[in-house]
Amino acid sequence: MTADIKSSNSDKDLKVGVFICRCGGNISDMVDIDKLKDSIDLDVVEEFVNLCSINGRKIIRDKVINENLDRVIIAACSPMTHEKTFQDYIKPLNPYLMDMVNLREQCSWVHENIEEATEKAICLINASIGKVKQSQAVDPITCQSPESAIVIGGGISGISAALSLGKQGIKTYLIEKTPSIGGNMVKIGKVFSPVRLAEECGMCLINPVMNELIWNPNVTIMTNTKVLSAERRVGIFNILLERSPRYVDSDKCISCGNCSDVCPIEVLDSWNDNLSTKKAIYRPFSQSFPDAYTIDIENCKKCGNCIKKCSMNAIHLNSENELIPINVGAVIIATGHEIFDPKLRPEYGYEKYEDVITQSELGRIMGVNGPTKGKLKMQSSNRVPKRIVMIQCVGSRDEKPDGHKYCSKVCCMVALKNANIIKNKYPDTDVLICYTDMRTPGMYEKYYKHGQENGIRLMRGRPGEISKKGNSLIVNVENTLKKEFMEIETDMIVLSVAIEPSEGTKEIAKIFDIGLTEDMFIKEIHPKIKPVTTDVKGTYVCGTAQGPNDITDSIVQANAASAKIAELLHDGLEVEPFIGEIDFEKCNLCKDCIDSCRYKAISTKDDEIFIDPLSCSGCGKCLTVCKSNAINIQGNISEKIFATIDGMLKGKKDWEQRILVFLDHVGYTAADNIGVNRIEYPKSIYIIKVHSINRVMPKHIIYALKNGVNGVFIGEYPGDLMYDEVEKRIKNMKQKIKEYGFNPERLQFSTVYIPYFTGLARKFKEFDTKIKNL
Amino acid sequence: MSVQIENNPLKFARKILSDLRASEDMGLLKCVQCGMCTSTCPGAKNSDYNPRGMVEKVLEGEESIISDEEIWNCFYCYTCHSVCPVGNNPCEINQILRGIAIDKGIANDKVGSFAGYGDSFLTIGIGAMPKSFFMELNEDIEGWLDFKSKLEEIREELGLGSITISNESIEEINTLLKKVGFNKRIEELKK
Ligand code: SF4
Ligand code: SF4
Ligand code: SF4
Ligand code: SF4
Repeated sequence: MTADIKSSNSDKDLKVGVFICRCGGNISDMVDIDKLKDSIDLDVVEEFVNLCSINGRKIIRDKVINENLDRVIIAACSPMTHEKTFQDYIKPLNPYLMDMVNLREQCSWVHENIEEATEKAICLINASIGKVKQSQAVDPITCQSPESAIVIGGGISGISAALSLGKQGIKTYLIEKTPSIGGNMVKIGKVFSPVRLAEECGMCLINPVMNELIWNPNVTIMTNTKVLSAERRVGIFNILLERSPRYVDSDKCISCGNCSDVCPIEVLDSWNDNLSTKKAIYRPFSQSFPDAYTIDIENCKKCGNCIKKCSMNAIHLNSENELIPINVGAVIIATGHEIFDPKLRPEYGYEKYEDVITQSELGRIMGVNGPTKGKLKMQSSNRVPKRIVMIQCVGSRDEKPDGHKYCSKVCCMVALKNANIIKNKYPDTDVLICYTDMRTPGMYEKYYKHGQENGIRLMRGRPGEISKKGNSLIVNVENTLKKEFMEIETDMIVLSVAIEPSEGTKEIAKIFDIGLTEDMFIKEIHPKIKPVTTDVKGTYVCGTAQGPNDITDSIVQANAASAKIAELLHDGLEVEPFIGEIDFEKCNLCKDCIDSCRYKAISTKDDEIFIDPLSCSGCGKCLTVCKSNAINIQGNISEKIFATIDGMLKGKKDWEQRILVFLDHVGYTAADNIGVNRIEYPKSIYIIKVHSINRVMPKHIIYALKNGVNGVFIGEYPGDLMYDEVEKRIKNMKQKIKEYGFNPERLQFSTVYIPYFTGLARKFKEFDTKIKNL
Repeated sequence: MSVQIENNPLKFARKILSDLRASEDMGLLKCVQCGMCTSTCPGAKNSDYNPRGMVEKVLEGEESIISDEEIWNCFYCYTCHSVCPVGNNPCEINQILRGIAIDKGIANDKVGSFAGYGDSFLTIGIGAMPKSFFMELNEDIEGWLDFKSKLEEIREELGLGSITISNESIEEINTLLKKVGFNKRIEELKK
């Protein structure tokens, strides 16, 4: 087999310098530095007690300049510790023309025999010399996104995110599909403060924020607007918006309301959860923004009464949709939530009995700007209920069809809040919360206790059905703590229904090609350490589009998302240049590569395949699916692997065993950890660091086996996006190896975890023994 | 109650889960003791039977539940299963517990009177109501005895075939049932 090493003539002329670090004895105590130096057949071979110091820099820089070095090898500690340092020390040489040999974590710290460690060091440096000759000077790719962002959704999350972006000087479009920003928070009436143990007016809290937003010169608020399509190009999102008309010119309208008085049409007011009516020309709520009326065109019968009445000439019944293209550098998804449809649990009689309502409806009833102006009344009889039973977890923690497995997180607090408000105003009304578990973490626990002191009653049990006896409703529930079956008579029942992903969230995810969780919320790329970051570069999520969240958590996420965007837009982006490139001459536009890419980096643009450098990880998957060989990745990665294999096998004696271990960033760090903890493993283990495990091809493994390697060990972290891919490929590789006449057992695939370095060391030993016995 | 170190309460639940009759996806271990099952259970409404309590005992490894009189008040209506938010099935658990009780021979007073059903398989090849229930049924359903005695004629009139099985088939069924020890078990129940 012919390896595709490009050993051009110029290779030989390249001037390579080797710098060996003693690391204050850490290396030189185990590696015979003189012997090592003698073994290297190059003009420039230097040693120093600690190369990373300022003096070390002087030595390196002087040699690079005075000796006109083309390539540099630093034989010292792990590249994980000091690669960036030495890339800087070799200036003016291109940073990618330097290679580090890990003499400390992967040699002197893992071996206990000077002779063996020295032999290994010689071999590692040899491999590096071969490899560094294959490297090319490449420049990091820098991208500059436009200093602008779009925030989709005008609820508390979107408002907070847009305001934060605007204040950081980023041009921001806040898009809201309804006629006003404000979202759910303006509807819920009162919000609770766990610290002050009191309920506060939600509108009064959000209003100043809305005002600040409206006056921020960097923020453009677009209501009645939705996203039609979006396309992503190197840090730029080309977005097409569609604005539907409000039929009232918001610049002219003075919100006098005269039009509404003469409008003959009455429709249910969804802002009041359909508990009251509004006119076809209406203002969503009194502090709505834009500060103008709007027409519900579906119900308007175009009588023209309002037009005649409007002294400002603001009404135009024949307005049309408008398409608006914008370009932005980043996206925040704040598309909010919907609530579980209580009709899906007929056992709770939501449709059957007027006095079975949801917490949201109760919120409107208790709101001073709501249908009853804040008076608590039964729907059926207009009197104050003597007892209210609240049922928790309706549609949450529920594995039945249409239910949600997750906990909606806010319902315990919402129930306590509404119960407290009732208790404050109507102390004689008995409020009983039937719960499965009360979940009030942190400070919220204090609010829970406050509620108990306020006379809220709690019963542990999940009611199974509701019926009617005379004028009362009956709740069937087991008091599970008393182990007693109860039939509780009540006037009113309030269902704490689940928070669920909104249709808008699902639509936006589709438009931007963003992944969803199994529950259909926007997925974070790593919920533990990369919250608010989605799987599409440059897009972030906040609020209930991400999952059930309360107001405070939503605002925290909004601010986090805006900080991530500031980071992205202000810093510019420097990406490693080892990414996919398309050869347009060869590409036949079969598009096979598009779906193969796990990083969603490939798309088509003007009838050409386009790889987004910001998203491409350089994993090389696309290379393997492209039948026309039209994709290449800079940096001679394949050649470097061949050269390294050559170097590592140099001088191998017949009786000697050598095993190549391929590890990516995570695996390599785990291997370094073995050294840091001074755990010994066989000298036969030779570790090669690769950018992505996916770049190790069958041809490399077969080349190694043909040239005398005894075993190949491939490690991958199971959390890696490419893990399944690699696992699948290993099977094929084993087959291939067999075809070439080698025992497939010589190839081993294994999981690696950074903290589980002891396991990795043990696997090295076991594999070494296994190979010996083959 | 003292809980010994080597005593793993979940053993009992696992035994129930591995019973042939247990559905594969039964959410027994996920039970949150919410009591929704009990709140809808007709058995619980009319007796001291408590499906949640039964599940609790199972999860705590209290095998004494097998001999609890109350488990015989389940109607096998499956309402508990249809409302359970975690996909648990108290009804099935009940059936398994009763099965264990029968195996232990401590439930003969509960099921002995039904042994006649078993006999009918041996004598006429199909499951049929034992004679001992006839009078009781006739009290509940007017004209039942009359209907029962004229069944063959009514079927003929309706163009339906006879329900009597040929002697040859009865022989065959007998052989099968004897081979699996069915008749022995029926005899046990009658003791
Ligand atoms: S549209 Fe005209 S009449 Fe209606 S509120 Fe605005 S200014 Fe007044
Ligand atoms: S190298 Fe990997 S990440 Fe880059 S375009 Fe190809 S498949 Fe996608
Ligand atoms: S309804 Fe299900 S989860 Fe609730 S107590 Fe009954 S078995 Fe357990
Ligand atoms: S099946 Fe049994 S335990 Fe379940 S609800 Fe019906 S009677 Fe109760």
